[in-house]
Amino acid sequence: MSLGGQQLLEYLEKLPGTAFRRLYQSPATALAIFRRMLSYHAKVIVRGLLYMPDPLPLPTLDIWFPPEAGGKIHRDRTIAALRSLHILQVSSPGKDRTQEIQITASFKKGLQLAFEGGGEDGSFGVPSSLPVDPTIDIGYLDKYARKKWDDILHYVVNSLGVQSSSEGVSGPKASVKELLLAGRLVERRPDTRTGIGITQAGFTFLLQESNAQVWTLLLLWLEAADHAADSGMDSIDMLSFLFMLSSLELGTAYDTSALTETRRNMLPSLVDFGLIYFPRDTRQFFPTRLATTLTSTASALRTVSSAFTAATANASGEPGTTTSASGATPADKTGTSKGIIIETNYRIYAYTTSPLQIAVLALFCQLNMRFPNMVSGRLTRDSIRQAIGFGITADQIISYLHAHAHQQMVRETTVTGKPVLPPTVVDQIRLWQLENERMQTTAGFLFKDFESTEEYAALSKYAEEIGVLVWKNDKRQLFFASKHEQLRDYLKSRKKGE
Amino acid sequence: MPRAIRGVLIQCEPAIKSIIVHLDSVNNDIIIEDLDEQTLVVKENMVQLLKQKLEDRLKETYRPEEPLADSD
Repeated sequence: MSLGGQQLLEYLEKLPGTAFRRLYQSPATALAIFRRMLSYHAKVIVRGLLYMPDPLPLPTLDIWFPPEAGGKIHRDRTIAALRSLHILQVSSPGKDRTQEIQITASFKKGLQLAFEGGGEDGSFGVPSSLPVDPTIDIGYLDKYARKKWDDILHYVVNSLGVQSSSEGVSGPKASVKELLLAGRLVERRPDTRTGIGITQAGFTFLLQESNAQVWTLLLLWLEAADHAADSGMDSIDMLSFLFMLSSLELGTAYDTSALTETRRNMLPSLVDFGLIYFPRDTRQFFPTRLATTLTSTASALRTVSSAFTAATANASGEPGTTTSASGATPADKTGTSKGIIIETNYRIYAYTTSPLQIAVLALFCQLNMRFPNMVSGRLTRDSIRQAIGFGITADQIISYLHAHAHQQMVRETTVTGKPVLPPTVVDQIRLWQLENERMQTTAGFLFKDFESTEEYAALSKYAEEIGVLVWKNDKRQLFFASKHEQLRDYLKSRKKGE
Repeated sequence: MPRAIRGVLIQCEPAIKSIIVHLDSVNNDIIIEDLDEQTLVVKENMVQLLKQKLEDRLKETYRPEEPLADSD
């Protein structure tokens, strides 16, 4: 699962059961959760149980998860994940009856509707029947979304004090700035030029792929709505609307009058994020790629550009094979992304004019020279340590360098079959990080003071089964778990069973 | 009922752990539970400070060599 999905999962797990019941009323939500949030094993279980009228005895699952092949751990973790999303109900264990599982009624209904079609009209959006402006095509929407999103990223980066030289950067709306402030991606610092400084969370945000970035911002937006209860915004309805948006088709116009009023009120904010395009004086809106890729595993904007570059590289070898490439070339030339060369002596040359990319490079490189079309510098122990101090990981740096490697490097490696980045440099970046990380930290809960050895044994075993156990000491009857909600529920049902 | 205490589990080398124990001995405001040679649970809000202090302490003893600087 991608980082974006992970963040969303953490947000969802904190919601109460009633919120899930409301969410699953929308078939689009049930489908989006099924598509995006579930592992392969979980999908098998859900699909198998979806049309089952009666609860299924738990041991029956052993056919899918053979215990002799270590399937029990998989089975229990999958069930725990499904329970935390309120998709699966498991009856409490008893002495003389086997446990049974079934899909919760609300999720079952939602997903069945999604598969069969039906339920309320327009749960997957209503395409507009009005004439559509022919200039608004997918290319236009991509450009629009990219500009909106880059404005937001520029704002975060510029807070670093890197002079922005590019024209036409208008910066995001005040509401978006407030969100970034509230989410502590940036903070007010009177001593900087812009009065705003980037935080550790902001650095991490910058290096994420755009899908994860979008989710970060959207979750901040949902949390802000939760806190301002009088704003008339309902975070559950907002979330459900986002899931609906993610099921819409790119390049199609949708009818705004089919939306409820609260959802219509959300449109301006979504325009500010670049998730939808909303032409003036029409009753249509267009989802952009940022919205339609919210719950798919397909990549959003940033990596689309790299896909395009790959396509152009292909086209130069075999002329005329790709048609989409020609449309992408201009964007690439002014390009924000491609063109970092890294040598085995840790020197870096980046062919870029984008202040955004230069600022990002400056996070972990010691930049020495700047030319009209490129900057040069080198990776040093200090520059990497500084980056790690900001909360950037070695893997983030490596994957950033990898994703933005110059075509020349990529081409060479496809011929020779060697890795794109010099292995010495990659190893050294990792070593520099290890030097800094002398302790491994895990947030969670320490469980102690058990009433009996049996209680300890049962709970620690259960914690292990659902995959939250981090450390245990049987002798002292102590264990450490990364989450406690399900353990608490388990203890309660155990007490009842006695 | 057993108790669940919120905290951060730290797993590290015994040498690092002894430094942490030493840092804690000043005010006793870091460690929640000392688990074993390589493991302990500390307060969530102290982790950042702890990392900082550990870094300072190690700086005194540890000086790795920089790769040779070449002309730019």
